[in-house]
Amino acid sequence: MSGIAKSKDNKPEPIAYSEAALRNNAAVVEYCRTSMAALSGSTAGVLGLTGLYGFAFYVLAVVTLWIMFMIKTGPNWHKYYVSRQSLLTNGFFGALFTYVLFWTFIYGMVHVY
Amino acid sequence: MASTIHKLIVIIGFVSLFHSAFSAAQHRSYLRITSQEFTTLPLDIVVQAVVSLFAVMWGVLNVAGNLREIPAAAELNNVRWETQKNIPSFYMFNHRGKALAYNYIPSASKSDLDNIE
Repeated sequence: MSGIAKSKDNKPEPIAYSEAALRNNAAVVEYCRTSMAALSGSTAGVLGLTGLYGFAFYVLAVVTLWIMFMIKTGPNWHKYYVSRQSLLTNGFFGALFTYVLFWTFIYGMVHVY
Repeated sequence: MASTIHKLIVIIGFVSLFHSAFSAAQHRSYLRITSQEFTTLPLDIVVQAVVSLFAVMWGVLNVAGNLREIPAAAELNNVRWETQKNIPSFYMFNHRGKALAYNYIPSASKSDLDNIE
């Protein structure tokens, strides 16, 4: 039911996390991240971004989603995520492939044909 | 109730995103007809696309589901004593104390049931 997570150096006492809640939160974050990648890829295609501008737009979208998560949970984000940094960086490249797929597809639909 | 508003935000954002895509395509065809060179999209299309992207992202974030609190004790704290003490395995439906009731009718003994047939 609960996994014990031990921190490395300065916090001696372990924290017990509910594994079901962790899995639920990870699923919600993954859902939002995939949607974000598809939608921002479509927007980049509509805007006709090419080259590094498109990747810069992806970074912007990732950071925006992260900020939205922070806004949603408010100051007590400790209750919902183990770490904020991993929320920002997890699955960065996996979602990037989704992003590039939608980017090229919508770019072709809007600007080429 | 709040989820309905967010679903509405998602739908409106999608429609707005499609509209901006259509506007961009029309702008490209206009440039092609007038044989001008494509430099950049008009600002209103750019703003509409980006704003609707953020709107859909915010809507999806709230539609996706509620985040649960991860500390192990967080959900156990809300369990009431009435729930905790309820142990179905120890339910008792046939207590001998019912023989003390004033309207108690003793059931037939096993030998009587045998003699009926």
